[in-house]
Amino acid sequence: MATPGVLIVETQGATDRTPLAAAPRRGVLRALLRRPAAALSLGCILVLVLMAVFAPVLSSLGGWSPYAFDPKAIDADLGGVPLGPLGGAGARHWFGVEPQSGRDIFARIVTGARVSITIAVLATALTTAIGVLMGMVAGYLGGVADQVISRLMDFLMAFPALIFMIALLSALPAGQRQYLLVVVLTFFGWPYTARIVRGQTLALKARDFVEAARSSGASDGAVVLREILPNLRGTILVLSTMSVPGFIGTEAGLSFLGIGVVPPTPSWGQMIAASVSWYTVDPWYFVIPGLFLFVTVLSFTVLGDHLKSVLDPGGNPS
Amino acid sequence: MIPYLLRRSGASVLVLFGITLLTFVVFFALSPDPAVTICGKTCTPDRIETIRGVLGLDQPFLTQYGHFLQGLFVGRRYGVGENAVQCAAPCLGFSFQTNQPVLQMIAARLPQTVTVAVGAAVLWLLVGVSGGLLGAIKRGTVWDKGAMLTALGGISLPNYFLALLLQYVLVVRLQVLPFPDSSIGLTQDPVGWFESYLMPWIVLAFGYASLYLRLTRDTVLDTLSENYVRTGRAKGLPRGLLLRRYALRPSMAPVVTLFGMDFAGLLAGALIAETVFGINGVGKLAADSIATNDQPVIMAVTLLAALLVVVGNMVVDVVYTLLDPRVRISQ
Amino acid sequence: MASRRSVRLTLTGLALLCSSALTLTACGGSGSSSTGTGTGSVSSSLSGTPVKGGTVEVLADANFSHLDPALGFDGGVNNFYRLIYRTLVTSSPGTKGATYEPDLATDLGTPSDDAKVWKFTLKDGITFQDGTPITSADVRFGVERTFDPALSAGSPYARTYLAGTKGYTGPFNGGKHLSSIETPDAKTIIFHLNQSVADFAAVTAQNTFVPLPAGKGGTTTYDKKPVASGPYQVDSYQPGSTLTLVRNPHFDPATDTVRKAYPDKFEWRFGIDDSTANERALADQGEDKNQAGVVVQPSSIARLSQPGVTGRTFQAPTTCTTYLGLNTTKGPLKKLAVRQAVSYAVDKKQVQTATGGSKKATIVSTMLPPTLAGHKDFDLYPSPDSSGDPAKAKQLLSEAGYPNGFTMTLDIRNLPAMQAQAEALQQSLLKAGITVKLNVIDSATYYEVIGTTSQQHDAAITGWCPDWPSGRSFLPPLFDGRTITSKGNSNLAQIDDPAINAAVDKVNATPSVEAANAGYGDLDELILKQAPVVPLNVENTVQVFGSNVTGVQSTPAFSGFPDLVLVGLKKVE
Repeated sequence: MATPGVLIVETQGATDRTPLAAAPRRGVLRALLRRPAAALSLGCILVLVLMAVFAPVLSSLGGWSPYAFDPKAIDADLGGVPLGPLGGAGARHWFGVEPQSGRDIFARIVTGARVSITIAVLATALTTAIGVLMGMVAGYLGGVADQVISRLMDFLMAFPALIFMIALLSALPAGQRQYLLVVVLTFFGWPYTARIVRGQTLALKARDFVEAARSSGASDGAVVLREILPNLRGTILVLSTMSVPGFIGTEAGLSFLGIGVVPPTPSWGQMIAASVSWYTVDPWYFVIPGLFLFVTVLSFTVLGDHLKSVLDPGGNPS
Repeated sequence: MIPYLLRRSGASVLVLFGITLLTFVVFFALSPDPAVTICGKTCTPDRIETIRGVLGLDQPFLTQYGHFLQGLFVGRRYGVGENAVQCAAPCLGFSFQTNQPVLQMIAARLPQTVTVAVGAAVLWLLVGVSGGLLGAIKRGTVWDKGAMLTALGGISLPNYFLALLLQYVLVVRLQVLPFPDSSIGLTQDPVGWFESYLMPWIVLAFGYASLYLRLTRDTVLDTLSENYVRTGRAKGLPRGLLLRRYALRPSMAPVVTLFGMDFAGLLAGALIAETVFGINGVGKLAADSIATNDQPVIMAVTLLAALLVVVGNMVVDVVYTLLDPRVRISQ
Repeated sequence: MASRRSVRLTLTGLALLCSSALTLTACGGSGSSSTGTGTGSVSSSLSGTPVKGGTVEVLADANFSHLDPALGFDGGVNNFYRLIYRTLVTSSPGTKGATYEPDLATDLGTPSDDAKVWKFTLKDGITFQDGTPITSADVRFGVERTFDPALSAGSPYARTYLAGTKGYTGPFNGGKHLSSIETPDAKTIIFHLNQSVADFAAVTAQNTFVPLPAGKGGTTTYDKKPVASGPYQVDSYQPGSTLTLVRNPHFDPATDTVRKAYPDKFEWRFGIDDSTANERALADQGEDKNQAGVVVQPSSIARLSQPGVTGRTFQAPTTCTTYLGLNTTKGPLKKLAVRQAVSYAVDKKQVQTATGGSKKATIVSTMLPPTLAGHKDFDLYPSPDSSGDPAKAKQLLSEAGYPNGFTMTLDIRNLPAMQAQAEALQQSLLKAGITVKLNVIDSATYYEVIGTTSQQHDAAITGWCPDWPSGRSFLPPLFDGRTITSKGNSNLAQIDDPAINAAVDKVNATPSVEAANAGYGDLDELILKQAPVVPLNVENTVQVFGSNVTGVQSTPAFSGFPDLVLVGLKKVE
């Protein structure tokens, strides 16, 4: 993750600008596919998701479970170094093996993808849901509700999230760690979404069609759901796309610090942490998860960039 | 302006109280008995009780919280009699594991963290903002594309990954830099000091610079396309003036906002850089204290970090007002 | 010359042996101080005689736990203490560390006939770092302050053996003296014990017998500003950053036969994480040429054969055993057959690899380490290549009524090496049908959890180092049923077997050292027949020193790690 530990949310430039157009979905997809970088990113993400979904199938194809040790693939007398060049990569182990345990890296990468993506997607879904709700309520209702929610957001954003997360996670028992991570990430993540949604809602509230709906007697709830929410579609799409890499990065960072998912469950961040002491002798153990992490985050970011420009034609091309 | 500031300060103080309370509650409820950790390995149940008495752990939660707040403002005493430890205000706690007031522990390490933070901030502002400006002005050219690509890489690369890579290449392989040593003072050995902090600065700044580059570029481009700028250009105003007076200043508003939050949040951010490079700063203190479960220190660092963020936000709000007249008018 | 006569420790005393409860890394210290026993390989360039002068650098991960001798009690800090503190008696240096020599005292003490009263006479010419002579009152003060609750985290032996100490809470807050410590004059000190302790001289080598200026300072003074009695004194201490030792100008080398004090200065650098320390040690640049030993990570073992590194490698076996404790009071583990099945199923080879391979650890089938006197060689649960015998395990399990195996929870410390060991165990036990769930516990609270009988789970991986090189400080604390306490328990298996308890009493009372040693070996076998634990391996300490360092000797006094008092530089620029 680029910003160490703190959730990244790309700011949208000025938050009081016109919300992104709620373009029809098919149009968006087609527009994206026309741009080579976006198409490539979409492709990468698709591969990644497939990898995550079919992880068990893929690892059995490779012939190894992510937890099985292979003592024949490592040299126990030399501290557990993988045998053979490229960190033991070959027909037997496609991406090589982990030092000391001899576990298949390919199996662990695909299983790790599953872990990382599940956590990130869940956290994104929850953060977006809560953030949008709170943002709309605060922006539309104003007054006391806005004050309360804004102060709550200030409070949560002021919290040194990383330190608190580390302290919290290391104090709690290790069971159900994955769900705990989602909860913790969501808890500190929703204000960023909410703040932007609130800004957009404020801008939309002043628009004519909202005025019209209100004066025609529609209830607050109906206005919010039928007039404001649909116009936030673009923003929501971009926000969630941009949140995913942040959560993946944060989860990897927490796993790197040793408080993410519990071993032997693989996680890319944890693999990078374990590879730190080995990178002079077995750099592939360091490079492979790092590369996957990099490409994943990059793909989502590029996609988010292009989404933003497709949905906001008045804005600036990337 | 003044009533606004007062209101904001009031709100900030409330937020800070809330944070102390929440932190206290969480650590109180979750942490395993600190007396046992302090007691050491040859613990007997009687000794644990004695230590709990000294620490005041046998008192109800609110009393303990009260003592803590009291310590913040007027100081407090731990234990009784000859062995009582006096902790002067602002008492951020007393670490029984290391027998030091926490404030002292933090103060000793603050210079290193400030060095890392300020150096990185200068670096990322310079690189990020000028890179973004360049990209906006020379939109579409090789400069622009190159800068954006690098920035993209910058935010996608995990910073611990970069840290390790840098250390391996520059120190182990090429041997152009020594292993960082944060005990070297600036006045003592400027060159050594610079060499030690260079890698942490680069690592910390890289991610932020990328973010700022993209942000600056987007914002400047946005502003350049605003009507009043277009009007100015149509009227024939010189390009330099246009950029500086009409485009740059308002563009800086979101950058400043983000910078205020980022700088204040750097304490947490520096944690990884300090840990990887062995810099004896507050971030590392936090990481080490969490590993040894030194509660008072963890709490104090959490509070300090929160304080910085809250103050940072306030400063940012004020500066934002000064920078963007539209905001000022709406106050 | 101290001979190791049998040390009659009471059972409660044994229960309080705490350095043993630390992991091997803590026992041996973080990468700096450590000496090993006897065999092992010390490169010849490291075995030379150092020259006087220069600064020795020590790279360490964590701070010292404490500078106050009443509080520090792990191998790393004990080794460091010997540079600045002296005790009545101390271990002989280096490889002879299993014996004792007089330090501040003129001899190893004069016991009464029943070994309950011990008299020591202090040497002449011994002073603190400010020149004040060390008197018996200072030694007494050092001992008495360890009774204060704030200062009793360290070695417990003074509290265990001295008579009439019930209710005594130290010389502060009232300032009463212990009647069991007499100081008839400035050079004489007499200890009255509550039992016969034939080897009390060895007890006075503990750091609770470090003298401090009588009546001066409170409970926190010496943790920040120690008052040295040894060849070095603390010049500056920045916790988390550096600690500098310089020569103590008032130290008289003529009064010390143990400490060579070659270097002029020692410089500790804290906060260097293990990987960086490894890189620095291998790179050997600048001041790192003078660094006194970094423990090698498994990843660096492959690089030890590089030219320029082989010549400065130190490898020595430790006297610390890593084992899997099985809670005999829980579930299926209550049955002997089940525990025996686990003993057969464990793939010790895999665990050895997880620990770092054959260079870093030696597989054992006994609890007493091979280099500890009294070690008896046997293997009650053999398997081909020590890789486990899942078939035999399954057979035993079905005989015991668990044909489909069972599930158990393993407590494991949140450290990469230990987690790797746990995962290896998990895999090997799975082959026998035993499902192992890992309960990862934060490093700081691990010992609290596994030492609390109500909180520990089915099994835990931990280590044990003897406080001094004897089977007596190894087996009874771990396996005597009468030492079980609800908190701070070392008998993780919670085994309380009358036969074992009786055997412990018998061997503890054996008067001759040789017979006692043999007795401990037999006791080891008797215990393992009950399979309360599965011994996994004994770690070697493998370290890389700076190219300009020599005088490195392994010492049994610190579980096999190099003795700091002998270390120095080859040449001074």
